[in-house]
Amino acid sequence: MVRLLPLIVAVPLLGAALLVALGRHVRRAVAETAGCACAAGSAALAVGALVLTHGTAVTWAGDWRPHHGAGVGIVLVGDRVGLGLAALTSLLVVAVLAYSWRYFEEPPRGHAGAFPALVLLFQAGMCGFALTGDLFDAFVFFELMGAVGYALTGYRVEEPRPVQGALTFGFLNSLGGYASLLGIGLLYARTGELGMAQTGRRLDAAGGPDALVTGAFVLLVTGLLVKAAAVPFHFWLPDAHTVAPTPVSMLLSGVMVELGVYGVARVHTTVFAGPGGIPAAHFRRTLLVLGVASALTGAVMCWQQRHLKRLLAFSTVAHTGLFLTGLALMSDGATAGVCLYVLGHAGTKAALFAVTGILLDRYGSVDEHQLHGRGRGAWRLGLLFALGGLALAGLPPFGTALGKALVEEQADWLPLLFVPVSAVTGGAVLRVAAGVFLGAGPVPEERPGRQETAGDEEKPETGGLLRWLPAPMITVAVLLLAGALAVGTIPGLAEGTATAAAAFGDHAGYLAAVLDAHHSTPAAEGEWWTGPGVALGLLSAALAVALAVPAVRRLLPSGGWTGPLRRLHSGHVGDYVAWTVAGIGLLSALTWW
Amino acid sequence: MTGRVRRWALAAGLAGTAALMVAAGTGLPRFGGDQHPYGARAVAASLRQQTANTISSVNFDQRALDTLGEESILFGSVLGTVVLLRQTRDEHRVRPRPERVPAALRRYGAGLLPVTLLIGLYIVAHGQLSPGGGFQGGVVIATALHLLYVGADYRALERIRPLGLFELVDGSGEAAYVLLGGAGLLAGSAYLANVLPHGTFNTMASGGTVPLLNAAVGLEVASAVVVLLAHFLDQAIEITDNRKAHR
Repeated sequence: MVRLLPLIVAVPLLGAALLVALGRHVRRAVAETAGCACAAGSAALAVGALVLTHGTAVTWAGDWRPHHGAGVGIVLVGDRVGLGLAALTSLLVVAVLAYSWRYFEEPPRGHAGAFPALVLLFQAGMCGFALTGDLFDAFVFFELMGAVGYALTGYRVEEPRPVQGALTFGFLNSLGGYASLLGIGLLYARTGELGMAQTGRRLDAAGGPDALVTGAFVLLVTGLLVKAAAVPFHFWLPDAHTVAPTPVSMLLSGVMVELGVYGVARVHTTVFAGPGGIPAAHFRRTLLVLGVASALTGAVMCWQQRHLKRLLAFSTVAHTGLFLTGLALMSDGATAGVCLYVLGHAGTKAALFAVTGILLDRYGSVDEHQLHGRGRGAWRLGLLFALGGLALAGLPPFGTALGKALVEEQADWLPLLFVPVSAVTGGAVLRVAAGVFLGAGPVPEERPGRQETAGDEEKPETGGLLRWLPAPMITVAVLLLAGALAVGTIPGLAEGTATAAAAFGDHAGYLAAVLDAHHSTPAAEGEWWTGPGVALGLLSAALAVALAVPAVRRLLPSGGWTGPLRRLHSGHVGDYVAWTVAGIGLLSALTWW
Repeated sequence: MTGRVRRWALAAGLAGTAALMVAAGTGLPRFGGDQHPYGARAVAASLRQQTANTISSVNFDQRALDTLGEESILFGSVLGTVVLLRQTRDEHRVRPRPERVPAALRRYGAGLLPVTLLIGLYIVAHGQLSPGGGFQGGVVIATALHLLYVGADYRALERIRPLGLFELVDGSGEAAYVLLGGAGLLAGSAYLANVLPHGTFNTMASGGTVPLLNAAVGLEVASAVVVLLAHFLDQAIEITDNRKAHR
């Protein structure tokens, strides 16, 4: 089974190749079925590996095992967290392909399989990134998901804004990619190694860290933090997620951004967590500053949006900030909580995007003001959307709430950040749900002179407006939300996550498993719901409702003080590049000093 | 954001980054050394595998998984370009007019095309022996076909460039690499293992799977570049938006 790990990446690649080769000769239904089958095959392999292997599954591509600690090959490491992310990615891709069944008006002429092929390549890039144990190989898969991600974002070329969003996405992620490559180059020059475990071992043998190691760390994580959309590297995310086709937004927000967070943690624990790496206090400080800043920025900006997809995009920035904060604590319990949070968030956020996509295709708008009261008949959609909002706020027993509770237990001050941030992001969704589906409150008036992204210019993605709810779309949304619920209600999952997190944070254990084939399974007790955890979850859900009700009645101030923050998100690529470079400077200062 | 704020943010960031890079640079090995741990291991491994071109041994044997990813990046980028440059509803296709080409240019194209094609094939086929391989040779092959556009006109290029066929080859090249990797598993070894006999050092039949993987990449790259250029040239030459067409 372990030797089959590379197939998780190879199967979607093969599917994409066949779809391109035969795309001219097959009908659309055949192409889409084949795409779904390949994605599902890869998902089955990942889930199978997760169930059938124990501990850390290690396989060397081309059978290039190291001898006496020295080797030339690439290693794939299917530890619990890596395999879990590969499984999550693949399952989400299957859901997205099912959701986009007959979705676009017409595929490019003669390329019936172009969209599923791009999604399969995206899946291969993400799974490869999750499984690789090699720095350069991780960069290759990082670039694969980037290149395909830009094309998917700009898919609707008929309009100028998707092209603009894709361009911004491409610029910033390429800039981050170059930084990462520079960092890998520095490490390679020092150690002569590209594998994460090998590099980590050489650094540890060389003694304490110096300026080169610090520089390599800063540059390497810059690319990953751009992907993770941490403040101040986050500017591309709202612009890209807003204009990407809805199924693509589901993947970008649901799992790609989280892979950036995973990359930061993975590279840190394997390469930089030993005695030759970055001092733990410096790493903690760096991640805490960025995490808290992202959480607050994301929450404030999320509340200010009326464009539904942009609102959800900023809520992803906020939650990514919470994930980074959790990882900054560097404890197994917090990591386990973040893992559960990511799983629950993926289902919730993808479901919310799915419902938003249905709104767009049915009413031709994703603008909160224009949609006001128009969803009155669609109570099922409204229920789904409101449940998604509550899950985002952290209502038990959703997986988001369990993950949040487990992280909050780690320190007394954490609820002060986690509760308000999740309440604001959930409250924004509830506010939209009440306005759109219940028609509650007065019809919002336009605020002249205020520059904002409305959302009334978005075009339906299905050709014409839908008159009924398409079964695949609504089914996918229900299943995704059910998945988020399952994460918080299946005890086995929490236990597995605890074991996964303990192994994930074990620097020496990872090196021994990869290089010496010495496997140890650290024992870990799975945490479960506690009284305070449930209470904090209920509190943030109640707070979300308490925010949404006066907001719908227009009793809350309009938030004019956020003007400067909103103006920073100018849509100008030059601004964003300046902030990214400033971010590298900030990271250097935080890590060095 | 005003230009002033932007410049300050950029300047502060650049100063910090520059300080970091300079400090990190002081820790680098001295320039011009003749020792590198990975280099020494990679050369030894490529000699064991009877592959004269160490670069090819690294790319297609020792780190063949990277190359699968890189080939897929090119494959995905070309597919993405095809999708983004597609003819949209408000666009219109006009047939290009035949062009008159000076006789000297015509002779140049006709003379150079077969030579360039041959060189491209040579570079792909000798990837295991001498500098070159599928990526480089593939680009040369694609260039050869486009000499027809220079030496004759776009209509002539379109005649020897059936896009359906090139897309078939593009996908097949990518699929072939993935499947050759699977052959390693079927032979009882690992994915992308070099399971074929390694042959005699410095002969055409050496390197095991290296020449085969090179050929797969050569097929993919040559057709991917043809497809890529075709879509850019179509946009430049054949596709206009409807407003212009009506005028």
